[in-house]
Amino acid sequence: MSLGTSLVIGTGNSEARVGIGYRAARVSKRFRRFCFCVILTFFASTLFAQQPDAILQHAISLHQAGDLDGAIKAYRDYLAVEPDSLQARSNLGAALARAGRYEEAIAEYNAGLQKSPDNPALLMNLGLAYYKMGRHAEAAARFERTVTLSPQFKEQVTLLLAACYNNLGRYKDAVTILSPLEKNKAGDAGFDYLYGTALIGAGQEGGTAVINRILSHGDSAEAYLLRGTLELTAHDRERARADLEKAVSLNPRLPGAHARLGELLLALGESERARAAFSQELALDPDEFTSNLNMGVLAKEDQAYVEARRYLERALRARPNDPGVRYQMANVDLATGNLEQARQALEGLTKESPDFAEAHATLATVYYRMNRAADGDRERAISEKLMDQRDALPAGSKPR
Amino acid sequence: MWIAAGRAQPEARRPHFTDIAAKSDFKYKTDNNFTGRKYFPQTMCGGVAAFDFDNDGRMDLFFTNGAKLPEMEKTDSRFYNCLLHNRGDGTFEDVTAHAGLLGKDLGFSFGVAAGDYDNDGHEDLFICNAGRNALYHNNGDGTFTDVTERSGITKPKDLLSVAAAWFDYDNDGKLDLVVSNYTVWTPQTDKICAINGQEYYCHPKIYPSVAHRLYHNLGNGRFEDVTDSAGFGKDLGKGMGVAIADFNGDGYMDVFVANDTVRNFLYINQKNGTFKESGYEWGVAYDENGNAHSSMGADAKDYDNDGFPDLFYNNLKGQIWGLFHNISGKYMSYVSGMSHVSRLSEHSSGWSNGFIDYNNDGWKDLYSSNGDIDDVGQVSRQPDTLFENVDGKEFRDVSTQVGADFSRPGFQRGSAFVDLNNDGFPDLVVTSLFERPRILMNSADNGNHWLLVNTIGRRSNRDGIGAMMKLTTGAGRTLYNHVTTSDGFMSSSDKRAHFGLGSEKTIESLEIRWPSGVVQTLKKVKADQILTVTEAAK
Repeated sequence: MSLGTSLVIGTGNSEARVGIGYRAARVSKRFRRFCFCVILTFFASTLFAQQPDAILQHAISLHQAGDLDGAIKAYRDYLAVEPDSLQARSNLGAALARAGRYEEAIAEYNAGLQKSPDNPALLMNLGLAYYKMGRHAEAAARFERTVTLSPQFKEQVTLLLAACYNNLGRYKDAVTILSPLEKNKAGDAGFDYLYGTALIGAGQEGGTAVINRILSHGDSAEAYLLRGTLELTAHDRERARADLEKAVSLNPRLPGAHARLGELLLALGESERARAAFSQELALDPDEFTSNLNMGVLAKEDQAYVEARRYLERALRARPNDPGVRYQMANVDLATGNLEQARQALEGLTKESPDFAEAHATLATVYYRMNRAADGDRERAISEKLMDQRDALPAGSKPR
Repeated sequence: MWIAAGRAQPEARRPHFTDIAAKSDFKYKTDNNFTGRKYFPQTMCGGVAAFDFDNDGRMDLFFTNGAKLPEMEKTDSRFYNCLLHNRGDGTFEDVTAHAGLLGKDLGFSFGVAAGDYDNDGHEDLFICNAGRNALYHNNGDGTFTDVTERSGITKPKDLLSVAAAWFDYDNDGKLDLVVSNYTVWTPQTDKICAINGQEYYCHPKIYPSVAHRLYHNLGNGRFEDVTDSAGFGKDLGKGMGVAIADFNGDGYMDVFVANDTVRNFLYINQKNGTFKESGYEWGVAYDENGNAHSSMGADAKDYDNDGFPDLFYNNLKGQIWGLFHNISGKYMSYVSGMSHVSRLSEHSSGWSNGFIDYNNDGWKDLYSSNGDIDDVGQVSRQPDTLFENVDGKEFRDVSTQVGADFSRPGFQRGSAFVDLNNDGFPDLVVTSLFERPRILMNSADNGNHWLLVNTIGRRSNRDGIGAMMKLTTGAGRTLYNHVTTSDGFMSSSDKRAHFGLGSEKTIESLEIRWPSGVVQTLKKVKADQILTVTEAAK
């Protein structure tokens, strides 16, 4: 079972269903416009000699038959004379998306939404296109709006939205929308994987039960990935290593598995192997957040600042505004002497995340380097207070 | 003759180390009294000092030891400290009892610092302890007297002191003392930490941080605790190694203290008897990701010969050892990644450390004594590491190429750099928990040349600690070093400033800037000698 695969299939079906569902709407107006066009071009083209509905039907048939290039051309021909057709616009977007031409699909969906901003089907398809591009923040925004506008889409959208939340590190939000579904969907491998990821990411109870549920159906790369993640969180690195290596061996293409293994290897001080794991993840998905972030940090430590910025910018695309990535970017600025840029970034970060002790500490250094001693002293005091508070937390019996 | 265009020149022969400890009859083993219960200080045991206590021209060795716990007493000879006299024939004799340095009345001992605090020409010892600290005055007749009480060197109750360094912070010609402290601890307040019934050494977070302490030498064997008035009292840390250097080139010595799991401190001397903790300004408080690590040993030397002392601290496995490059005396740049130190160090838990030009090529290499903090992992016993400096830019791991004795795995702790046989190549002395120390002699067989400078201050402190040196070779190469005994963790090294000269046999000039401000230049100095330089009158 692979969540990535199952979602992709689901997405394709949804697009097809949603797109073709437009068929009956607004025929008479379209027909009038179409007749006008046909009169103008009747002798010039055999295509336009046909009835407009027939062209659209032809496009839909091609689309359903999988002739995406043919369908895209037919939809575009139709839209040339019927530019207001939401059905054709949406179907064209769906065909483009199925052909992997996401940017073009997004352009078509957005063109449709300009005319009908609250159209839930268009919003959902737009969200799907963003999702497939790994632009999870933009996808999540469209899915959220879809559900708000049309609760009947909730069932279709919830798992996708949860996947977006997980990818964005918004694990608590994912748990919130998935928890009500557990009663009915427990045992569904796709659901369990999403839910387990969310629970573990949010640091909530229940992850182990979900893992066991998945494993009750047999060996599963997803289950080992989840268990390895849980063990990594608990600093049980030996077990985490065994489980994550098993996940990778069972399904080398499982999204996130190499990245998690890379994180573990970094924690074990095996940076070269970690680099290899992150690289493998990025070969599968160049936009994967964790790998880009860690490769960026590793490059920064090697003083390869151009390379570091490239990775960090990719990570920032995957999780826009992520404070950790922005902090690393500011560190690159500091290391390369761009004090003003570092100052602006760190001031923004500390304003948005006042408890970000490391950002306050680095901002203090930036201020000192800019000869702003009073500001440096202030940030240093804040940083130290925050770190003292952190140190005051119960240490438990964790070995160092 | 065949000329292979573009082919790299063959590398010079690499010296190796041979452990000669077995040739000597002494009983000392580093004993932390581990009997199952894991008391917090047991991880830190086995400080070492290299100093010439009897002025016979040969460096001797002193080792600190643990104590019976929870009694925290050196109840029997297993826990005594140890002074080994260098006979000059490759053997050492235990003269501890005669010298009065057994330390029977001390608690659990950690670091040691050697320095002639009263300028009488005899090296004294300061020992850091859980329990009271101790200042031993060298009587000049092979014996020492515990003068702690009358010295005025006191500390708050139950303060656990780890390491110390002698330096003259106000350039008044008398050595002052800085002591790094870890926490407040007694066996009775020791915490027990366990998972599933298995006891671990507790995370440092569980113990409170404390201020490091500064003692001003008033003369006549008296010291004043100036911790608060000098600006040391405000910042609370968990002190480990102490490094002394003039980081900003203003003629006054600064202090770096490596802290365990707390940000590191860099006290910049304000030249008026006070210091400003400037770790943030200089970028050494944290690593470049804003993380505080388990910083252990520390050393400050100029590894790229640009005239400014750089900084090296080590820490535990999975963290990144910190190598900081001094940018023109203004701030430090974190260069662990670019120099390959991060990748080379990731498998090691380091304790004592330092810059050491082991092969006399003029580039200071990086040494670290290693071993896990606890014995619960499969690779807890670790070999030491030696990273060879390549042209002052990066480092390569040569640990496995410098002899099997060097690579012996263990729970290594203290270390001292010292030329025990005065052959100009630095030797190494390393302690390991539960074992006899290793006395690792450098094979000194690569043909490189050297100079050892033994400074004798007149207006400056007699040891010349803090004297800055610039050596220019016949070919115009410039090398830098300064006089200090403090490096690594819990340890004190040979005070003679060492220069490796590579293949060069001539020294155009040696410029010494004394702490007094006197600048003394010696021309056309012969290589391959121990040069004693007495401070000029002006």
